[in-house]
Amino acid sequence: MTQETTFAYQPSEHENEKASNSYLMSLVAVIAGLPLPIINLLATFFFYLANRKSTFFVRWHCTQALLSQAILLFANSYSFWWTVSIIFTDEKVSNYYFAYLFTVIVFNILEIISTIYCAIQTRKGKHVKVFFFGNVTNLICKS
Amino acid sequence: MVKKIVLPGFIILIGFFGLFLALSQVDFVSLFHVKEIRSSSENKIGDLIWDEISSTGDVISNDSITGTLDKLIAPICDRNNIKKDSLKIHIVVNDDINAFALPDNHLVVFTGLIKECKNQEALQGVLGHEIAHIANNHVMKKLSKEIGLSVLLSATTGGKGSAIVKEILKSLSSSAYDRTLEKEADMASVDYLLKADINPEPFADFMFELAQQKNLSDNLYWISSHPESEERAKYILVYLKDKKYKKIPTISIEKWENYKKLVAEKTKQ
Repeated sequence: MTQETTFAYQPSEHENEKASNSYLMSLVAVIAGLPLPIINLLATFFFYLANRKSTFFVRWHCTQALLSQAILLFANSYSFWWTVSIIFTDEKVSNYYFAYLFTVIVFNILEIISTIYCAIQTRKGKHVKVFFFGNVTNLICKS
Repeated sequence: MVKKIVLPGFIILIGFFGLFLALSQVDFVSLFHVKEIRSSSENKIGDLIWDEISSTGDVISNDSITGTLDKLIAPICDRNNIKKDSLKIHIVVNDDINAFALPDNHLVVFTGLIKECKNQEALQGVLGHEIAHIANNHVMKKLSKEIGLSVLLSATTGGKGSAIVKEILKSLSSSAYDRTLEKEADMASVDYLLKADINPEPFADFMFELAQQKNLSDNLYWISSHPESEERAKYILVYLKDKKYKKIPTISIEKWENYKKLVAEKTKQ
């Protein structure tokens, strides 16, 4: 799921901390974002904005953290509004609802695990690419 | 580009939807007893309310009266894939012009309604309307909204059950569902009648006539609990405007008149 590669240059201790914080930021936001998934994305997005003029290493990891959050936003939002419609409208609980809910939970757990792993590795100064998101980040984040 | 982004993205999508489809094969609804909880409490509430009605009202068990009503309902159920046996139809001696659905598929028809209907199609329209409330689960929706699910469930577990049952009965017999549900039931009833080759016009006429005389009597409950009857009669007639349909009476006019006489006699006794 993740791949450790070498970065274009050796990041400084300060950069390692900031890059690692971008992942931590999205992790902390998970708690606040449980009822409203958009909070999750917003927190990571503002951290990205704050660091967009930072060094390449920090920017790269902020972008990867943001992207992996963004894709989950759609899945989480859909499950959130599906639940709301069951509580407040005529929508009924179905096998599809439970199946979707558990699928989203599994993907959220995978995301949390990879986020923690990335936070730890980047703090050590290692460059970690998450499957798919790492390549997309390479494409949009230029030195 | 393709190898690095499109393919991994595709793999994630397949993983997501694959897991979703695989999990949707599991019967979670049964596994978590979702329906059982709902239907068992609905059964209990329905029985409690029916016990309350039958203990205070005169329930007709005369075969020729209940039998004819069954005949009138039969084509509606048969042509619309509604299991007639699942409906628990009761005729209660009461001069109020009323019919209402209760939880657990109970359908209560007052003799006052049968006497007031000029023709069988009008009665079938009202019955179709109430059957639509049952078929579309409007009854429990209304109760959950007005009384609250927790209070409903407490009625089934004793305590202040009797007071709650009276409150539920009052809500179902003398107040309307919200406008959307009423319109849904009206149109469903018209569709039921059309599929059963029954003329729905008398149903609209019946609503219109009752709306005209609503100030004359206090016991026009079906119409007073169903406001905007004129408007409803109109949208039914508009719906029927361009439709071609058969008008086959379920029982002969003579049998219908005899039936009304029989009900009137029974009420006098």
